[in-house]
Parts: sequence; C-alpha cells; structure tokens
Amino acid sequence: MFDVMVILPLAATGAGAILIMLVAAFETFRREGISILGMGLFAFAFFIQLTVDNSGDIYPFAEVFNGMLVANTFTKVAGLIILACGFFSALAAQTYFTQNKGFVLEFYCMLLFAAFGMLLLTMVAELITLFIALEIMSLAVYTLVGYDRHSVVRAEAVLKYLMLGAFAGAFYVMGAVLVYAGTGSTSFAAIGAVVADSGYLSNPALVGGSFLILFAFLFKAAAFPFHAWVIDVYDGAPLPVTAFMATAVKTSIFAVLANFLLINPEVHQGWVTFLFYLSILTMFAGNLIAIGQQNLKRMLAASGIVHTGYLLIALVALGSERFSGGAILFYLAAYGVATLGLFVALSYLSGQDERRVSFDDFRGLAKVRPYSAACIAIFLLSMAGIPPTAGFMGKFYIIAGAFQAGHAVLAVLGIVSSILSLWYYLRLIIVMYFREPEQRFEVAELTLAPLGTIVLAVCVFAISFYPVVL
Amino acid sequence: MIDTYLFFGLALLSVLGALGLILFRHPMNGAMSFVVTLISLAGLYALLSAKLIFAIQLIVYAGAIMSLILFIIMFLNIQEEDLPVDTARWFYLAGGIVLLAPVAGLLLKIVESLPGEAEPLTEAGFGGVKQVGLVLFQQWLLPFEIVSILLLVALVGAVVLAGKRG
Repeated sequence: MFDVMVILPLAATGAGAILIMLVAAFETFRREGISILGMGLFAFAFFIQLTVDNSGDIYPFAEVFNGMLVANTFTKVAGLIILACGFFSALAAQTYFTQNKGFVLEFYCMLLFAAFGMLLLTMVAELITLFIALEIMSLAVYTLVGYDRHSVVRAEAVLKYLMLGAFAGAFYVMGAVLVYAGTGSTSFAAIGAVVADSGYLSNPALVGGSFLILFAFLFKAAAFPFHAWVIDVYDGAPLPVTAFMATAVKTSIFAVLANFLLINPEVHQGWVTFLFYLSILTMFAGNLIAIGQQNLKRMLAASGIVHTGYLLIALVALGSERFSGGAILFYLAAYGVATLGLFVALSYLSGQDERRVSFDDFRGLAKVRPYSAACIAIFLLSMAGIPPTAGFMGKFYIIAGAFQAGHAVLAVLGIVSSILSLWYYLRLIIVMYFREPEQRFEVAELTLAPLGTIVLAVCVFAISFYPVVL
Repeated sequence: MIDTYLFFGLALLSVLGALGLILFRHPMNGAMSFVVTLISLAGLYALLSAKLIFAIQLIVYAGAIMSLILFIIMFLNIQEEDLPVDTARWFYLAGGIVLLAPVAGLLLKIVESLPGEAEPLTEAGFGGVKQVGLVLFQQWLLPFEIVSILLLVALVGAVVLAGKRG
C-alpha cells in the first residue's frame, strides 16, 4: 500500500476546502453549486477512504513525518464515519439554507476544514500534532456556530463555546507539557515505552499531565463535569452545524481518546475507576437534563450527553479481552446515523427561520407527512435502543463488553439509563402520532433532505446487520 | 548562582504581571501589565539558552501582538464610565483561589517530583537559528506544515465572522 493513498482522504478534504474557498470568490458560483460541490467532495473523500486498505499499523511517510501519523482499521472506520457525517451535514445545510437566512459561501469551506482536522485527529500519534489538529477542528467549528452575527442566540453560543474551548485547549497544552516533562517525549510510542519501562503511577508528572489532557477531551466530548456548555451551544448553532458537532466532533474526540488511553494498558488501567464514575454521572446527568427539555434541539443536545456516557462505558471496558475499539466505532456510527437522520429531517420540517423546534410544534406530523414521521420514529427508536435497529446493537455490544470486563454494575446502570431515555424519545413519537395536526408542514422547494432522511432510515437497519469487525 | 537569582526575579515579575492583568480595572492597564509578563518570560527563555525563542518572544509577542492589542483597546476608546461595575469581584477572586488551590498544590507536587539540578542539557550552539531550523524541518515537519492549515482556518474564519453580509 502506497503511503500517499493512506493520507489521500486527508489531502482531498484539505484541498477541497481550499478549492471551495477559492471558488467562493467567483460570482458564477452560488449557493446551489457550492452545496453540490461540498457534498461531492465529502462523497469523494469517503470513497477514497473506503478503498484504502489499512490493515495493521501503517506509518505513512514514517521518515519525513517521524511516525507522527498512524493509520489502521480503527482510524479508517473513524474517518469513514466522520466523512459520512460531513456529507449528510452538507446535505442538511443544502436544504436548511433554502428556508433560512444567513448563508455564506465559506460555510462548506469551514465544514471541510473541520473534517480535515478531525481526520488528522483520528490518525495522530504525537501530542503537539494532536493539539494543532484539535485546534483546526475547533476553530472551524467556532466559526460555523457563530458566523451569523444578526442572531443573539448564535453570538451567545459562540462566545460560550470559544471561551470554554480556549480553557480546554489551555488545559491540554499544560497537560502535554507535563507529560513531556515526565517522559521526555511527546510521541505516543515513546511515552508507551517509558510507561512499560518504569511504570505509570510512579511518574507524577505523567499522571498529572494525562489528567489534564483527559480534562480537555472530556470537555470536547461533553462528559459530566464539563457538559454544561453543550445545551446552549447546540441550541444556538444552525441546525446542520449542530448535526455536525453532535456526530463528527464526538467521533473524532472518542477516536483520539481511545488512541491516547491505549498508549499502554497501564495508562488505561490508571483511569478505569475515574472513567467508571464519570460514565455513570454523565449518563444520569444527561437523562435528567433531557427529561426537562421542551425544545427538540436542546433535548437532542442533552441526549448527546447520555450517549457520551455509553461511550465512556465502552472506554472503561476498552482493551480488555475480546473487546476493542470496534464497539466504540459501531456505537458512534449507529448514534451518528440516527442523530443525523433527525437533524436532516428537522432541516426541512423546521420551516422558515427554525420556527418549529419544540415538541408541541410537531403535533400530528404523522397525519400530514406520514413518511417523514415514520423515519423520525425509526431514528428515535434507534437512539433509545429498540431492536432491530443499529442503536440496539450498539448498546448491546457496549453492555456485553462491560459485562465481559467485569463491570456488571456499569452494564446494569447502562440499561437503566437506556430505559429512562425512552421517556423523552417516545414523547416525540406520541406527539407525532396521537395528536391532531394543527399545521400543514409545508416544504418550500424540492430539496435533497427528504431523500437523505430515507437513506439514513435504511442505514439504521443496514448498520445493525454489520458485525463489529475490529 | 546569579542565574538562580535571575530566575526568581523574572519568575516573580511574570507572575506579578499576570496578576496585574486580571486585577486592573481598565483594559489598558491590564495590557501594559501583560507586557511585563511577556518580557520577563523572554528573560526566562534566555536563561534556558533558547536564543531564537527569546528574540521571537520579544519581537512577536511583546512587540507585534501587544501593539495590536493596545491598538484595538485604544481604537475602542474605553472611558472610566464604560467599564462595568463588578461589585462581587473580590468574592469571585476568592472563590477562584479556593477552587484552584488544590490544582496548584497538585502542580507543585508534580514539579517537585521532576529531577532538578541536572547536568547542563545543552550542547554548543543550542537554541540558535540553525539548530532550531534543523529540528523544525527534520523532526517536526508535519506539525510545521499543518500549522499553515490552522492559520488558514483562522484567517478564513475571521473574515467570515467579521465580513459584510448581503
């Protein structure tokens, strides 16, 4: 396998972003053209990534890059999920901006730049490169959240995200410095070697450093003590951006978190207890917040916290026998498909200026638009974990993994939390099916989103038949 | 011996500057106090024989970036009456100190655990332009290259955030 093939999806995303940036300067290209171009670039990168054979650990351009990038099946699948999320977010944006103001041509450029940072993030094996990749992703997402200055909600969202994100970045850098002080290197391989040599807990700088690095990741993944920003930021961002943040950002952060914890089994072992309590608190805090929400976007943001909790369970069980990163990626794919499906459906159902966003606004949707309502019901059932959807299989793998790793308490609490989450998922289904319609749910123009919704609904079932391959 | 005194002097100055940054009410005073921090940090880099970083710290941070910040503050023309009245300021400050004290304790413990008073780590020519360049373009090529993407994202992002809307 040629090295250039391994980084080709990365290069294609980066080059695509620059291409859109240049093309946006010409008068001839308007919103429609740029939308199709953006989606096409995501699809192109997706298919390259699909054809790359990354079995084993490949260090692309090991001499030139000094082994700072590593590609394997785990990074390949994570990249595929990210690019698919990018594609469907672009599709949602295409529809969303036919009914909403505030489009800039650079929107797709920032989307692709963010995807570039994420792809890089899944592959990095070095702390400084990791920081730069993290910042590329974050800066692009900050811009996407808040570029519409006329809206106060957006401005509030971007301010909160930017300030807290800067803190998380500072924590990360401080942590990386301490890890370097403790081990004398920033490369994952060298840190792993030092840990194997002299132990993990006997090295205070390394422990403190990785603690601060975990802080930063948990913030970005919206885990328990750092989850407060999520609701306002997801609510304030435009719908397609919320979809992108909820799925792609989470995928890349969990990919890099798993890579970091797997530097050495001892590092992972050192954090198991911490992650154990954190996953429980994250699940139940998320559920409590979600139950109280009236707004769909806020409910989805809160349910995103709950799903972070499940993924943390997977991290606790990570690396134990017969359980690897595969379950994490499977869950991310299942969660991503359902979340994106909901957001793509909302992108054409929410109407002008996002006016239909609360539970009550969707009263009787099933009578007016039965297919859309059926798709939304499928997505909600998948998120709640009802068989035979992908969400059920994802939860099944994670809970089975927790049992195998000897964390029966965690598995049981995961099931309890899953039952609790039915409350807010079924609520929307009840509202859609058992209330009389008051609105006509008119859709402005012929757009791609209804088609995308159906494709994603099929994916919900298709993914559940895939076994965990890693 | 003299380098130890220098270190403590510069470290004290940089911490005082940082304290001034958060304690002064007027942004202009805060910015001037931040200059003290940046310059004393440059001094600390010089103590570590990082010549190039010392120069860059003075030229780029204490020079270019600080003048930009000062320019923006002057541009906004902030008067005394524009400043918000924050009555609970000392309260928040005390709360912050209480919250951060355990973290500071942890950091102190970590720093104590590091091997101190090691033999000089630097060889001849360490920290010069040539040496930094060699390390940067041989070992750290990938981060160096992707920083350009980061800067591009920041640039496009700034234009998008501040640009004119139709």
